[in-house]
Amino acid sequence: MAQWNDYHHEDEDVDGEERDESGVDYKSTGRDSLVFLVDASKEMFKGEDEEPSPFDMTMQCVRSVYTSKIISSDKDLVALVFYGTEQSKNPRNSFKHVYIYHDLDLPGARRVQDVDGLRGEKGAQVAGETMGSGNTNLGEALWCCSNLYSDIKLRLSHKRLMIFTCRDTPHGGDSERDRQARTKASDLKETGVVIDLMHLMKPGGFDVSLFFCDVVSPPEDEAELGLQMEPCGKLEDLQKRVRAKEMKKRSVASLNLCLGEGMNVAVGVYITALQARKPNAIKLYRDNNEPVRTKTRLYHTQTGSLLLPSDTKRVQVYAGRQIVMEKDEVDVIKKFSDPGLELIGFKPMERLKLHHHLRSAVFIYPEEEMVTGVWSACVNVFALCKYTRIRNSPPRFLALVPQKEEVDDGQAQIAAPGFHGIFLPYADDIRTLDTTQLPTASESQVDKMKEIVHKLRFKYRSDAFENPVLQQHYRNLEALALDLMAPEHIEDLTMPNVNMMDQRLGSLAQEFRDLVYPADYNPEGKTAPKRKPAEAAGGTEKKPKVEMSEDELRGHVQKGNLGKLTVPVLKDACKQFGVKVTGTKKQELIDALTAQLTK
Amino acid sequence: MARSAKTALVLCLDVGFSMSNSAPGQEPPFQQAKKVIQKFVQRQVFAENKDELGLVLFGSDITKNNLAKDDQYQNISVHRQLMIPNFELLEEIQNDVHPGSQQADWLDALVVCMDLLQNETLGKKYERLNIVMLTDLNTPSSPDQLDIIIGNLKRAGITLQFFLPFPVDGGGSNPPHGGKALSREQQQGLEMTKQVMMSLDEEDGLEEVYTFSDAIEKLSVFKRVEKRPMAWPCTLTIGSSLAIKIVGYKAVCEERPRKSWSVVDAQTHQKDDIKRDVVYCLNDDEETEVQKDDTIQGYRYGSDIVPFSKVDQDQMKYKTDGKSFAVLGFTKQSMINRHQFVGTQVLKVFAPKDDEHAGVALSGLIRALDDLKMVAVVRYVYARNGNPQVGAAFPCIKEKYECLVYVQLPFMEDLRQYSFPSLENNKKYTPSEDQLSAVDSLIDSMMLVEEDKDGVKKDLFKVNHIPNPQYQRLFQCLHHRAVNPSAPLPPMDPWLTTALQRPLAVATRCQAPLETLKKKFPLKEVVKKKELKTSKELFGNSTEEPDAKKAKVDEEEDFNLADITEGSITQVGSVDPARDFRTLIRQKSLPFGEVCQQLTGRIEQLLGNKNMNYYIKCIPCIQTFREQSVQVGNADHYNSYIQSLKTSIPVRGLQEFWDMLVQDALTLINKDEVDGSTFSSHDAKQFLTAGEKKEELVAAVVDDTGDVDDLLDMM
Repeated sequence: MAQWNDYHHEDEDVDGEERDESGVDYKSTGRDSLVFLVDASKEMFKGEDEEPSPFDMTMQCVRSVYTSKIISSDKDLVALVFYGTEQSKNPRNSFKHVYIYHDLDLPGARRVQDVDGLRGEKGAQVAGETMGSGNTNLGEALWCCSNLYSDIKLRLSHKRLMIFTCRDTPHGGDSERDRQARTKASDLKETGVVIDLMHLMKPGGFDVSLFFCDVVSPPEDEAELGLQMEPCGKLEDLQKRVRAKEMKKRSVASLNLCLGEGMNVAVGVYITALQARKPNAIKLYRDNNEPVRTKTRLYHTQTGSLLLPSDTKRVQVYAGRQIVMEKDEVDVIKKFSDPGLELIGFKPMERLKLHHHLRSAVFIYPEEEMVTGVWSACVNVFALCKYTRIRNSPPRFLALVPQKEEVDDGQAQIAAPGFHGIFLPYADDIRTLDTTQLPTASESQVDKMKEIVHKLRFKYRSDAFENPVLQQHYRNLEALALDLMAPEHIEDLTMPNVNMMDQRLGSLAQEFRDLVYPADYNPEGKTAPKRKPAEAAGGTEKKPKVEMSEDELRGHVQKGNLGKLTVPVLKDACKQFGVKVTGTKKQELIDALTAQLTK
Repeated sequence: MARSAKTALVLCLDVGFSMSNSAPGQEPPFQQAKKVIQKFVQRQVFAENKDELGLVLFGSDITKNNLAKDDQYQNISVHRQLMIPNFELLEEIQNDVHPGSQQADWLDALVVCMDLLQNETLGKKYERLNIVMLTDLNTPSSPDQLDIIIGNLKRAGITLQFFLPFPVDGGGSNPPHGGKALSREQQQGLEMTKQVMMSLDEEDGLEEVYTFSDAIEKLSVFKRVEKRPMAWPCTLTIGSSLAIKIVGYKAVCEERPRKSWSVVDAQTHQKDDIKRDVVYCLNDDEETEVQKDDTIQGYRYGSDIVPFSKVDQDQMKYKTDGKSFAVLGFTKQSMINRHQFVGTQVLKVFAPKDDEHAGVALSGLIRALDDLKMVAVVRYVYARNGNPQVGAAFPCIKEKYECLVYVQLPFMEDLRQYSFPSLENNKKYTPSEDQLSAVDSLIDSMMLVEEDKDGVKKDLFKVNHIPNPQYQRLFQCLHHRAVNPSAPLPPMDPWLTTALQRPLAVATRCQAPLETLKKKFPLKEVVKKKELKTSKELFGNSTEEPDAKKAKVDEEEDFNLADITEGSITQVGSVDPARDFRTLIRQKSLPFGEVCQQLTGRIEQLLGNKNMNYYIKCIPCIQTFREQSVQVGNADHYNSYIQSLKTSIPVRGLQEFWDMLVQDALTLINKDEVDGSTFSSHDAKQFLTAGEKKEELVAAVVDDTGDVDDLLDMM
């Protein structure tokens, strides 16, 4: 019964409860799957002017989904199927003009390379040679895709199919085929497959209503109708559109927002920004490179018998006293209230300070009318709520900041309507800094800096920076997996483009320096005198060893002022009395000594 | 901020008989004073700093001090010399400090404390020497020595604090709220106290005089040890030729407790008696163990597993040359969405303290940004080979200082762009004017920031003034357990509960608007679970106990209100077959066999629908079936049903469902679980997987078009 514990997997070590906010577990929910169904007709290969062809754009898009899946959700299954091909490739080749390029499976290095091979002019050539362009029967293609789903042994939680095409009438008016395709599409939809249309630029405009409106899944909400009916002309738009759909949105929690006694309304809690990290390494068996499983066991050092978690307790030591609690007690101490959000009140927006930041915010979507009402009425105010995510998680306070919906020119949603839940710091989380007042800049100095700022203006976009550490890591893996000589070069976008900046600034930097720094001042010099290297003091001259008699030490222990002694003295004392210490922290030394001498 | 320096402090507690007097219904001053001391010592113990503490009692029945001679300095006892406070001291205060039947001059006691401080701190370095006097001043004392005492205090640099049962000002003529007027001694004592305090510190002397009740309130909060802010010196660069020296400090960061729990043996309470052992084993049936040395490191790259040794990884990984705070460019503040802040800290960036030129240069940048409403987008690297971040540096201008506030921004990989149905222009629901005005008045009534008569804004609920409740509760429990090892944990401190609730004033104020709101909005039943998705929901109550063992599926939890109100359950219904089944088994009103039959009937019925949603509903049924069978100790019904189910899988096209069973490891019940079973645990496992690969007959999806040829194709 893995699922049981997996859902909120609490580690043995304590304080782990808040680590995994993402909290999504594939074992319990099944896997996500995504099928790219790509038109391979001649029209797809026609690029306009300098623009890449629709086919090329699609392949770039597929590639970026492949790599992003590998990085951010490596358990998801992906397939790539072409329709309108000359050649056919599918099990038993029962479907004509359908070419399964990639079966529904985890994307890997090889597949990324395959897709790379279909990009650009060369890719078009490759595609022409292997698949060619031929008749179109979307119904057959959809049927073939439905077989992909049913052949999968794993439990699938979310099934999505994206059709990439630039033809609004794929069968050229053949109503029989149109009907077949519609029927097949509705079959697919009935089995829970969501069908999206990623329609691309077509000369003369792409008319969804001619055929595709009956094929694609109805939007989640009526209000969405009318959105995204414009075809994508640019790769960027296409990628954005695909990215927004490609991941199933999962709520971290579905909670009640308590407005007052007995007034509970439902909201969904989502994560929209979470730091992606390098995954943990896995251990492989040297002989066959197969992953090994790790088993952790607790055993008794005296008897050697295995211990169950119930055979253990938890301790903390303060002032030399061991304080013992049961594991359950340790957990229950953290419980304040049942999971949920509790409205405390409202505050004007200006009370939310910039520095009130502890971790990534959550997104809160109203699921009932009353919350939507509160959402609409929140103008220049935010709601203050107490947030308890799961049982035994201590409360945090959230500022619920209303977010209005925003859409871009292509009618794609760029900001979803709902609340952003900003975590507010407690008194303990705010550190007091002692600040000194330094002379401030004069107007002319500020003005000079303004010129500099003007020269270096740019439009920040949150998705403009890739994480170079992650990218390098995955390029390395890719190179190893494909036996490449060297990993593909990454462009480190976090590095300042110094040359360009210098060029734009021209003499401004020097002028500002002249305004603020005296001639002999070197802003790049070391601030603090370097700490003298240890060798300078002479390695031989060690501090005289302090020997302490046992009585003296016992005296200290009894008085409880071992803390007065220095760490080296304590270490010596430990050696002297044969006390084994694992750590080097002072408290650990003191604890160990106290334990030994009060026996 | 010299942290290493420590304080020596003597608590001087009046235990004389007048301290036990109190107006009816009021806590005697002695008890209040004792609480103050307990809370204070408690705080010191958990802070684990090096401050030393002594305790002197006066008015005690015994006399124990260095100055006692003949009839001088009688009934003053040095209970504890200066030392680091510990739990023993707390226990002594709890058990051994009682009100005495004598009286002693508080000035004499003060002299004893000074003597104690001076003797014991001789030759050692202290940052501060302090005497805390807790008394009701109800003893006649001789003021003739006062000047000498004040002189000595000043010379030795000893500071004084007074804790009294009544406030220092206005105490003379108005009776304190207890209703009892001050005695003549008290009035005289108060005058002397004022004299002492004012002569030690002319301006703020009286601020060091507190009342007991104030002090208890303040000391209730476990104060965390102040961490010394770590300076991060670096250079802010703009291009290659403009540099400003800076120092960064962590300003906001989630504070973690300093100590963590360690695991000990339940019997001996020894850490060393337990060892954690990690073994590696192959993924084969025998789970062959392999040595750690025979393993290498690898990573997943999608479907590929790539061996990647540590050495190679270190060589190939992304490297940074060292700390950096390099401006990439400037952008409008409005381009930065605050909900996209990531990372776990906020840095404040200043110019170095002793560097005026850097100060001017940084001030130029800060003011320029502030005027233009712009931010610097910055590459931040903490140290050599640290991971680079991209973040925003906001200008921050305060009365006393100027700085940049740096917060990390997300990388492309960190973002998840979800789209949600629109809330406005929503055909299904748009709030009416009526409803909106109800919400508006609710918001008005629940405003936590209000203006008082003088137009000063007052915040009724400042989160950044609340101590982290998690640690308050933790220390409360630790303290309680340390002193009462066998008692259960105490209830939560009432002040803490109150601190986390809607302020009373607001709660009362919003009652009426809430009621209106309730009427204006049709409240749906709070049944919000739309679809069964996660195991949490699937398996209902069992996950309430995340680490509960299967067998522990709590019996009591099933007795919920619904059961009672629904009347007794007489058969396995279709709504929640698993629950009905459990209830019936517990009620024992029907024979086990029959209940099982009812359940399997329901399962068959559900499976007949050949739909994932129904499959999902069946899993907990089978699971409960299995659990209950194990509990009852009768495996026959379960095992035979599962066997027959398995044989029918291919015929009925239920492979998908069977796979779910396999995934959930719903094996046959084996001998180890129930005696009567005929299967070994190995057999039981085998049973699930065997034949899995034989053949997969996919269920024929009935096609609307009824195209027979195609149908065959599909199979």
